[in-house]
Amino acid sequence: MPICDILQAVLAFDEPSVKKIVRAEIEAETDPQTILNDGLITAMDEVGRLFSAGDLFVPEMLMAAQAMKAGLEVVMPLLVEGNPQGCGKVVIGTVKGDLHDIGKNLVAMMMKGAGFDVIDVGVDVDAVTFMEKAREHSAQVVAISALLTTTMAAMEETIRLFHETGTNAKIIVGGAPVTYAFAKKIQADGYAEDAPSAVELARKLVAG
Amino acid sequence: MNQPILKGGLETDALKFLTDNDIAAIHRASMKVLANTGFQLDHTGLLERFQGQGVRVDMTNRRVFFDEDTIMAAVKTNPDTVTLCGRDDPERDIVLGGKRVYLGTGGTAVNVIDLSRVRRKTQAKDIAATARLVDALDNIHFFIIPCHPGDSSPENVDVNRFFNAMNNTTKPIMGGCLSLDGLERILRMAATVAGGQRRLEARPFIAFISSVVSPLTMDNQHAAMTVKAAEAGIPMAFSIAPIAGATAPITLAGTLTQMNAEALAAITVAQTVRPGTPSLYSAVPTVMDMRSASFLFGSVETGIMNAAAAQMAQFYGLPLYSTGGISDSKQPDQQAGYEKAFTAIMPALAGANFIHEAAGQLDSGMTISYAQYVIDNDINGCVMRSVRGLEVDEDALATEVINAVGPGGNYLGDMHTARRARTELYYPKAATRTAYDGWVASGSKDTWTRAEEVAAKLLDIHKTHGIAPEIIDRILESEPGIIQG
Repeated sequence: MPICDILQAVLAFDEPSVKKIVRAEIEAETDPQTILNDGLITAMDEVGRLFSAGDLFVPEMLMAAQAMKAGLEVVMPLLVEGNPQGCGKVVIGTVKGDLHDIGKNLVAMMMKGAGFDVIDVGVDVDAVTFMEKAREHSAQVVAISALLTTTMAAMEETIRLFHETGTNAKIIVGGAPVTYAFAKKIQADGYAEDAPSAVELARKLVAG
Repeated sequence: MNQPILKGGLETDALKFLTDNDIAAIHRASMKVLANTGFQLDHTGLLERFQGQGVRVDMTNRRVFFDEDTIMAAVKTNPDTVTLCGRDDPERDIVLGGKRVYLGTGGTAVNVIDLSRVRRKTQAKDIAATARLVDALDNIHFFIIPCHPGDSSPENVDVNRFFNAMNNTTKPIMGGCLSLDGLERILRMAATVAGGQRRLEARPFIAFISSVVSPLTMDNQHAAMTVKAAEAGIPMAFSIAPIAGATAPITLAGTLTQMNAEALAAITVAQTVRPGTPSLYSAVPTVMDMRSASFLFGSVETGIMNAAAAQMAQFYGLPLYSTGGISDSKQPDQQAGYEKAFTAIMPALAGANFIHEAAGQLDSGMTISYAQYVIDNDINGCVMRSVRGLEVDEDALATEVINAVGPGGNYLGDMHTARRARTELYYPKAATRTAYDGWVASGSKDTWTRAEEVAAKLLDIHKTHGIAPEIIDRILESEPGIIQG
């Protein structure tokens, strides 16, 4: 199994090559689970390591993730088990009254890149919608973003509704005015100051 | 971090303080000064040589009155490009001339703020350590020996300076000397390292700084050293450091006029000794603070004058030795940051070739700081990024990318962004660029502290290509006074 080739193709953001290598492995009757684990996931782990070390930049990491996903799409239909990547599901949106979505989009993109199943519910999302979507998708994590100090209060409202209704998802918050202290005060399950740490946080929460 | 796009030698002439008329006016004024006031040259051999060429010389007062033809003939024989070589490493050569910009260190300090923030007298080991730091830092393109080896006996200072520089970096080296004897021994030592005098001349990895004392004087010792260096064929600059308001007129144009006269006179001396001597049009214009009579290296006027000097050098078609990235502040602080940024960016954007003093130096050149080399490497990176400016072509205009991403979209996940992320933006080593909480989480460190950490790490891990052990042994046989730092 030419794992190095997959890693190299992933780091070159070369989707066609990743697909080609995966197809060649399938034809050579390599176990699809092995292709996934030893090839694609190993490559992605290395990408994550390079990113954490500062050797890979955000857009490069996203492109590498995209190349990895191209390979994933080839091998996935052959895997009998349900959701083998198992990274987790995240519902993400900006809080009621807030239309600023650049940060939210960034987090969504990076979470997708890291292998999460991301349900982006958009902007100006009220507490009830967050709750319904979390239930509908059985999301493990709900990520709420705010840019305005005036909309931060709505975060607390959303968390309260989740708690009152016993909705089973971890809520993480972020956005320029949000601080760790504020997140703690409103009883959020986590706070991340930027997109890469949001991904890390979601990983931790899903792992329990 | 690999950013090849910011290699030294990028070209620009974006900044022009002088109009063509201003340049012509300064040229005429300098010619008038040289013809009427003259240039003090305390060297009988040189005075006789000039007299023999028909130049008006006052032997009693030891003064040469250069005419424009003599000066311009020397400008003509001086190479328009001078290459300072990397020892065993042509990749590190710097090609001075035109509008190519390089930044590097300067000298000569006697104090150092080390990594424990103790301010003490410099020693041979500080030359070795700063050479290694410079060797590791991408945006410092050459190494002028930055400090005095206080632990060396006086007669061995020059060899200690050059040996420790050569043994710890392969970037081009330059420095001044205390004595003619020192210069001769350095030339022998460098020839040993090069594998012969001819090889040294073909690829000179050391260069010499002679001196003119403003106003308009070259003393006997520096005249003798200029003769020696010119005969040896190694590249040469001159420390020509008029202080506006003290050793030159307070007006910037007046200081430029005098400095231009001094720089051209120095080149004329070198060309007279040996036509074709690779010498640099040299500019170290400074200012005196009229409130206290303090000498200032890092004033904003220094930046303006060095930028103007670049225009003068380009006018003559001469390679330039200029000054920038320097500060009068006593420690790596805010004043150091802004003075260095101002005085580096101005000459750089004017296309100054060899901006020295642009790393490590504080306290008007009297003190160096290990951390400051790291901070200045970042400042120089910003400067080189500015020199590069922006490319306007189809890929950079990115209309297809804009179309693909569309209104409300996000460019972070586009291949165009990934492809150009490393080359379009400059990434400093020691700056804070995280959000507030991240800064707190990593220890709420200021620039100085972060730079110290980078410096400590580089000194710990960076490997340099030293002089071969058997050659070191040969050098030590004839130079037992060398202290290996």
